[in-house]
Amino acid sequence: MSVADVIAIVLISAGCFFFLAGTVGLLRLPDLFSRLHALTKADNLGLGLVAAGMAIYMANPWAALKLFFIWIFTLLASSTACYLISRFAREQAGVTANSGKEDER
Amino acid sequence: MLWFLHLVVLFLLLTVCAGLVRVWRGPTLADRLLTTQLFGTTGMAILIVLSGALGEPTLLNVAITFNVLAVLLVVCLVRVWTAGKAPKGGAS
Amino acid sequence: MSVWIDILLATLSVALAVRCLTAPTLAQCVFLFFAFGLTLALAWARLGAVDVAIAEAAIGAGFLGVLLIDALRDFAPAKEATVEDAEGYAAGGSAAEGSAAGVPLRAGRAALPLLPLAIAAVVFVLLTAEAVLNVRDGGGLTELAQENLARSGVDHPVTAVLLNYRSYDTWLEVGVVLIALLAIFAVGNGGTFARRDHVTHDPVLEPVSRILAPVLFLIGGFLLFLGKYEPGGAFQAAVLWGAMGILLYLAGWPVMTCLPRVWWQVLLTAGFGVFMLLGLAFMSGGGAWFEYPLAHAGNLILLIETLAALSIAAALTAIFAFFHEMHAPDATETPEK
Repeated sequence: MSVADVIAIVLISAGCFFFLAGTVGLLRLPDLFSRLHALTKADNLGLGLVAAGMAIYMANPWAALKLFFIWIFTLLASSTACYLISRFAREQAGVTANSGKEDER
Repeated sequence: MLWFLHLVVLFLLLTVCAGLVRVWRGPTLADRLLTTQLFGTTGMAILIVLSGALGEPTLLNVAITFNVLAVLLVVCLVRVWTAGKAPKGGAS
Repeated sequence: MSVWIDILLATLSVALAVRCLTAPTLAQCVFLFFAFGLTLALAWARLGAVDVAIAEAAIGAGFLGVLLIDALRDFAPAKEATVEDAEGYAAGGSAAEGSAAGVPLRAGRAALPLLPLAIAAVVFVLLTAEAVLNVRDGGGLTELAQENLARSGVDHPVTAVLLNYRSYDTWLEVGVVLIALLAIFAVGNGGTFARRDHVTHDPVLEPVSRILAPVLFLIGGFLLFLGKYEPGGAFQAAVLWGAMGILLYLAGWPVMTCLPRVWWQVLLTAGFGVFMLLGLAFMSGGGAWFEYPLAHAGNLILLIETLAALSIAAALTAIFAFFHEMHAPDATETPEK
């Protein structure tokens, strides 16, 4: 097993840890916003680490570049999704729980 | 090394299974929606690792496609369900 | 180790399919269906069928999921959804399963339909037996497809089959999308798209759509060109371009009204029409239906694929937008004329 493999294993294991953290957060945290917080942050970090590990393992500059762009794209896309979900939940909840507080849209 | 990659795929698949519990329990639509993010990101990681394990670099294209559509799902649901309530700014 | 992945994927796919059909609420069905799409895409990837994996991820899970989500709204008044979901939210995760998303599918858990199940079981056993006993390993048409690859104009066997050996099928598939669109428009009372200006002012979605849309266009084009060498091609590109259209539409851009009607008509029929005209042209030149001239096969296939992808993408966007407007709460707006 070469040094590159060891680095890849370490990175991917770290990534798996964050995926685990995200899923545990999704299942165990008490309300939507903390679940959102746990999942979208941890998973994107996990994805970045897994992608970095695989880029080292594949040892192919073209694949590594693609992985990098995939990760950047995912960061952008999933933070947007996170924002939209929380806004959606807030609007849905706002009707009864928060009806006095109208956010500026 | 290969056994490690397979182990990782197995592990990530199990986290997807665990995420299914949230689909089932809800309780709100937003919670279920959140799981599409889990599936999108984890599915992508699984495909990336599989692409290395199987030596099939084109699987990366599947990964990016899946993630694009996972995000579109969120945009769609949020826009569709809030369409009736959002102030219609420039609607004529 | 990898056999455990296969076992888990197979179990998960079947379990999700069953769960999807027996889920008590529609929202559960829709999101389970999306997860089912993921497991199917992974299963195809695991089997090495990357083309099918992309198609499954793009169409099976993605586009169908988007349409189902849009349909979900029609089964529940938005108001009910709001209140009940809010209660569910405020209770921090207690019951409130009766929300809009949680419209009960059926009154009680109906008894499983035994006869259809029995028939399905018999068919499954027979098909499996057929597969195990009669399908030869590595035989079939694979060799024939590989042998003629040099004469097909492309380097990827799946694209060669789709766009050259069996282009008749693909031509009709492009036609099916067009016919579906026409049928939807016909059933929808010939409704027109309301002219609206840039409606929403979501402070995040709007700038993000400005960034994501060109990226989606680029990825779609990449998959289209890749189809010549590797898994990819017109249908996958079409879904990504369609996703771009839907994203822009949902972000509030006047996608459906930015082009004159006739342009849309040209765009929607270009794939089917040019495909057909080219086929006829080759036939009149003495060849068979869709027999491309050898020297130009690659470029002609690329042209056909590009136009087909554009048409399908336009159709997907139009189908989504049409459903969306048909049921929109503000559907009473003066239609464009």
